[in-house]
Amino acid sequence: MNLSERIEALLMKVQKPVRYMGGEYGAAMKDPESVDVRYAFLFPDTYEVGMSHLGMRILYHILNRREDVWCERVFTPWVDMAEEMRKNGIPLFSLESRTPVRKFDLLGITLQYEMSYTNVLESLDLAGIPLRREDRGEGDPFVICGGPCAFNPEPLAPFVDLFAIGDGEEETLATVDAYKAWRASGAPREEYLRMAAKIPGIYVPSLYDASYNEDGTLNSFAPKPDGGAPEVVRKALVNDLNAADYPETLIVPYGEIVHNRIMLEIFRGCTRGCRFCQAGMIYRPVRERGRERLMELAEKLVASTGYDEISLMSLSSGDYSCLPELAHEMVEKFARKRVKISLPSQRIDAVLTDTLRETQKVRKTALTLAPEAGTQRLRDVINKGVTEEDLARSVTDAFEQGWSAVKLYFMIGLPTETDEDVLGIAELARLVRRCYFSVPKEKRAPGLRITVSASVFVPKPFTPFQWCGQLESGEVIRRQKLLRDELRTIKGVDFKYHAPDVSYIEAVFARGGRRLADVLERAWKLGCRFDGWSDQFRYDLWLRAFEECGVDPDFYALRDFALDEALPWDHLDAGVTKDFLRREWEKAQSGERTRDCRKGCVGCGMKRYEGACV
Amino acid sequence: MRMLVRFGKRPRLRFISHLDLQRFMQMALNRTGLPIQFSQGFNPHPLMSFASALALGWTSDYEVLDVRLAAPMGRKRCEDAMRAALPEDLPVIEVKLVDDRAPAAMALVCASDYHVSLSGGGAEAVRSAIPDFLAAEQVFAMKKTKSGEREMDIRPCVLALTPAEDGFDARLMLTEKASLKADLLARILAGRAGVACPEPRVHRVALLGRDEAGELRPLMEL
Repeated sequence: MNLSERIEALLMKVQKPVRYMGGEYGAAMKDPESVDVRYAFLFPDTYEVGMSHLGMRILYHILNRREDVWCERVFTPWVDMAEEMRKNGIPLFSLESRTPVRKFDLLGITLQYEMSYTNVLESLDLAGIPLRREDRGEGDPFVICGGPCAFNPEPLAPFVDLFAIGDGEEETLATVDAYKAWRASGAPREEYLRMAAKIPGIYVPSLYDASYNEDGTLNSFAPKPDGGAPEVVRKALVNDLNAADYPETLIVPYGEIVHNRIMLEIFRGCTRGCRFCQAGMIYRPVRERGRERLMELAEKLVASTGYDEISLMSLSSGDYSCLPELAHEMVEKFARKRVKISLPSQRIDAVLTDTLRETQKVRKTALTLAPEAGTQRLRDVINKGVTEEDLARSVTDAFEQGWSAVKLYFMIGLPTETDEDVLGIAELARLVRRCYFSVPKEKRAPGLRITVSASVFVPKPFTPFQWCGQLESGEVIRRQKLLRDELRTIKGVDFKYHAPDVSYIEAVFARGGRRLADVLERAWKLGCRFDGWSDQFRYDLWLRAFEECGVDPDFYALRDFALDEALPWDHLDAGVTKDFLRREWEKAQSGERTRDCRKGCVGCGMKRYEGACV
Repeated sequence: MRMLVRFGKRPRLRFISHLDLQRFMQMALNRTGLPIQFSQGFNPHPLMSFASALALGWTSDYEVLDVRLAAPMGRKRCEDAMRAALPEDLPVIEVKLVDDRAPAAMALVCASDYHVSLSGGGAEAVRSAIPDFLAAEQVFAMKKTKSGEREMDIRPCVLALTPAEDGFDARLMLTEKASLKADLLARILAGRAGVACPEPRVHRVALLGRDEAGELRPLMEL
C-alpha cells in the first residue's frame, strides 16, 4: 500500500476524518516534478483552527502563485490520529499531495499563540524531523517559524533554523530565493543559514551566543564572530498593502471551520496604543488597503469562492479611515448577491453606530465590545480610550436598532488593578442593562443577553507591560470569585472565565528565554500537546516538567523585570523602541493617557523604518 | 427549468457528510454564475435537492443534484459551469435539463445499484452465502428504523445479488417504505456464512427509477 492508501485506512478510525482529507475546491495542486521548491506550511493546531487563519491563506497564495514553488498545508493531527499514525508508522503528511513533511525543502510554521508550542514539537516528531536543529542534516527541511510569537523566539530557538519576524509577504519569498541559490551552490547546510541571515526580518538563532547571570537573567546576547548576522534584527515591513499580493481565491473547506467566510484584511496595524496589546505594537504602523482595491478583491473572492459572507478584518475595523463609505458600498453591492458583510472586533466608537446601521441590513449577531477594564482609572492605565458614555451610547444605539445580545470582554489582573476595578466590571454590566430598559419596550428586541468574559492578563514582549509580572494565581482566583459573586446579583448576565493555569504557562513562555526550550521538550515528552484545548491541557505535567528541569516558572511569569535588565528579545527590533515602551510603562503607572497616533505622532520609533508613517 | 447534475464522489472525499455536501453545493452553485432560483424568505437559499443522500464513507458514480434555474440556460453551459465549480474528486458526469413540471429527482428514486468490496478473506465467505440467501423466501435481520431497531424481513429489498471478485454487486430497494443499506447486507451475508464482517467499502454504481413500462432504469435515462 502506498502512503495515501495507508492514510485512508486510518480515517475510518478517527474523529473528524475531514481534517486529514484535503481535496478541497481551491487547493493548489501541482506536478511535483515541475516545481523547484516544496514548501510545507504548518499551522500547529487542528485543521478547523488553522484554516481560519488569514496569514496562512495569504502566504499559501503568495507561494503558490510562483510556478517554481508548491506550498502545501499541514496541521497537527488530533491526539487520536497521532496515536494511529505512530502505531502504523505513518509520518506527518501534507494535505494536498500526502507527501511526508520530512521530504519538503522548507517547513514554515506559524506561531500564533504560545500554547501551540508543544504542537510544534509534536508535529516535528511525527514528521520524523529531529527536534533540535543541530541533529538535523542533509535531507531534512529547514524549519522556519513566523507569526506574532516569533517576536520572542527564544523558548523555541534550539528547535528552529530561522525565525521570520514581521510581515511575511516579502521575507517568505526571500527565504525561498535564498534556498534556491543555496542549493545551486552546493554549499553545506550552515551556509543557507548565513545567507538567510542577510534577509530583512530573518533571525538565525544559531548565529548568536547567549550568556546568563547567576540569577538566571540574560547577561549578553551577541552575534557570533564571522557569522555575518546583524546585531539587531529589524522586523520585515510591507509598506504598501495596495501593492501587496492578496488571495483572489481561497480554499473552500467542506466541514465547519472556525471562520468559514471570506476574510478581507482592510488594514494592518493599530494606532490606539493600548498598553497590554502586543498586536497593537508589533504590527505598526497602520497601513490601509484602499477602498477600490478592497472592492475589487471582494468581488473576485465572492465570484471565485461562492461564499455568502465577507468579514472585514483588522485589529480595529472602526478605525478604517472611510469605514462608513466602505461598509455602505459593500452592502449596496453585495446585498443583491445575498452576501452578508460582517465586522468582527468591533470597538466602542462613534463611527461604529453608522456602520451598524449598514451591517444590520444583512445580519444581526451579538454586539461585541471590549472595554477591557471596569473603571475609567484602569482604562487610563491601559490606555484604552473608551469611556462609560461611549459604551452607553453604543449599546443604546444597538438596542434601538434591534440588537438584544451584548458580549463584553475584560481582563483580570491588569497592572495596578484593585477590587474597585474588578467590581467596576459588574457596574458596566448594570449600565448595559439599564440602557436596554431605557429603550421603549415596543422598540427593542426581546430577550436581553449580556455575556461578560474575563480573561487573565498575560504580559507580552514589545508592550509597555513587558516588564510587569503576572498576577499570582491565588489572587486571580479571589478576584474572579469576587466578580462572579457580584455578577450573580444582576439578572440575565452570563459570566465566562477560566482557571488561571493556562494563562500562567502562557506568561512563562511569552516572557521566557532560551532556557525554557528544555522545559518545553520535557513537557512534550511527558505528554503535553494541544495545550490551548482545555480538555487536553495538563497543568500537572507542566509543573513536573519545570521541576525536572530545575526551572522556576515564577521567575518568568510573576517577576517584575528590572527596567535595565537585558530582555530575551532585545536583539529584535519590532518597530517600537524600548525607550518608547519604557515611557509608556511609566505613564501607565501614573494613569496618564497617550493619544491615538493618528492625532499626532507619539514617537514610538516606527519612523526609523524607511517608508513607514509617511 | 431545472438542471439535473450527475456527479461522482471519489474515495478521497468519502468522509464528507451529507450536510456538509449540501452546504458545499450551495456555495458551488454561487460560483457557477448560473441563474439559480433562490427560495423566498428571511434566509434565502438556492432551490436544490439531492436525489438521495449517500452514507458517510461511501463512494459513488451516481449522485444526482436537482437544481431550479431562474432563467433558461443551454445544457452545455450548465455542464461547463458545474464542472468548473466542483473539485476533481466530485467529478461532473452528465447534466440534463428538465421541465419544471417534471417530478423531482428525489421522487423518482426506487432502487440503487451498489458494488461492495470486502478486504481480507471476507469476500469469499460473503460470496459463498449468496446462493442460500437468494433461495430463501424470508430473511429476518435487525434493522434500524425511525422508531429504533427491530427485526424485519429484508429479503424483498434485495432485487438482485451477484458475486463479484472482491465482494458482490447488489440492486437494493431505496424508497421511503422499503430500503436496505448495502453495508448491512454485507454484514447479514457474513453472519450467514459465520464470519465476522470486515469493514465493507460501498460504491454506488447507479440510482434507478421506473420508466413508463414500470422497468427499472438509471435515473438520468428516464
